[in-house]
Amino acid sequence: MSTVSATVVWNGDQVAPLFGYLGAASALVFSCFGAAYGTAKSGVGIASMGVMRPELVMKSIVPVVMAGVLGIYGLIIAVIISTNINQTADKAYYFFDGYAHFAAGLACGLAGLGAGMAIGIVGDAGVRANAQQPKLFVGMILILIFAEALALYGLIVGIILASKAGTAAPM
Amino acid sequence: MKALMLGTAALLWLPSFLLLLYLLQVDLNYLFFLFKNISPYFWSALGISLCVGLSVVGAAWGIFITGSSLVGAAIREPRITSKNLISIIFCEAVAIYGVIVAIILQTKVEAVKPNEDGSFGLAAANAGYAILGAGSVTGWANLACGLSVGIVGSSAALSDAANSTLFVKILVVEIFASALGLFGVIIGIIMAGNASFTAQS
Repeated sequence: MSTVSATVVWNGDQVAPLFGYLGAASALVFSCFGAAYGTAKSGVGIASMGVMRPELVMKSIVPVVMAGVLGIYGLIIAVIISTNINQTADKAYYFFDGYAHFAAGLACGLAGLGAGMAIGIVGDAGVRANAQQPKLFVGMILILIFAEALALYGLIVGIILASKAGTAAPM
Repeated sequence: MKALMLGTAALLWLPSFLLLLYLLQVDLNYLFFLFKNISPYFWSALGISLCVGLSVVGAAWGIFITGSSLVGAAIREPRITSKNLISIIFCEAVAIYGVIVAIILQTKVEAVKPNEDGSFGLAAANAGYAILGAGSVTGWANLACGLSVGIVGSSAALSDAANSTLFVKILVVEIFASALGLFGVIIGIIMAGNASFTAQS
């Protein structure tokens, strides 16, 4: 293997956008997986419950809406990251920025995945139980709000991390 | 529990791999050599193929989940067939999104001359990573969306067979599920806007 010569024009920071784009991608993709799981699992519960109590279906759409919001959180972080990756000759995109964006994307995405799983399972059980005992509606909403807050934590940390990009101290 | 272990493994493999490399005194210049010599055309090809491939897998998965429930429920209630084809069409739209984004991405790929040592310029490397990101985001998001729409569509068919007032209500849930594929397309288009092999750098 030849050693790196002095005339090579590649200086390593060219790889940094790989991590940046993978961060933006993982923000949306994992949030979408969580939202998909939440929507599907709650949807199955709503459809099964609606056979016996059709008048409760529209009221039970709440878990589906909350799962959809998880996708929005991932979309926000992905847009923030992908519009900040501009690698030109006068504005460098260091590994610092790449890793910051990667961390922001993973934080938001995996948090959304977890929250989506929680919302799906709670929504499914909640709407079925609400059909049999109407007093449970408020309780189901409270549990769903706690589950949604998990994704919000991921969004907050993602925004904080993404704002670190661009603050690297060049050598 | 299993998901927890899988998630931890998915997150910890990279730092443990890097620690292993450090402990084994592996010359990390070889890793940069690897990245330097992987052509951005590989990354863009991978992105475009993931875009259409995963979108079609998601659409197909959704279609067979919905379709099998639909034909099964239609044995006793044949009236549900024509209305529930909407669910199948929602799944098919996911595949169309993947094809559209893949066609947009492949128009961005232009031939660029590399430098003397085989590496590519700044703009070309950036474009390669951008197309990889755009393609993966669209592909994986459409996979999730197709799966979700399929499961909800299956429930819609079964509940429509039991009670015909339910179809339109469950369709609302399906519309929420199909929005996820649109999110993937939006981010893919935004990332593709950053990609230009021949930009001045």
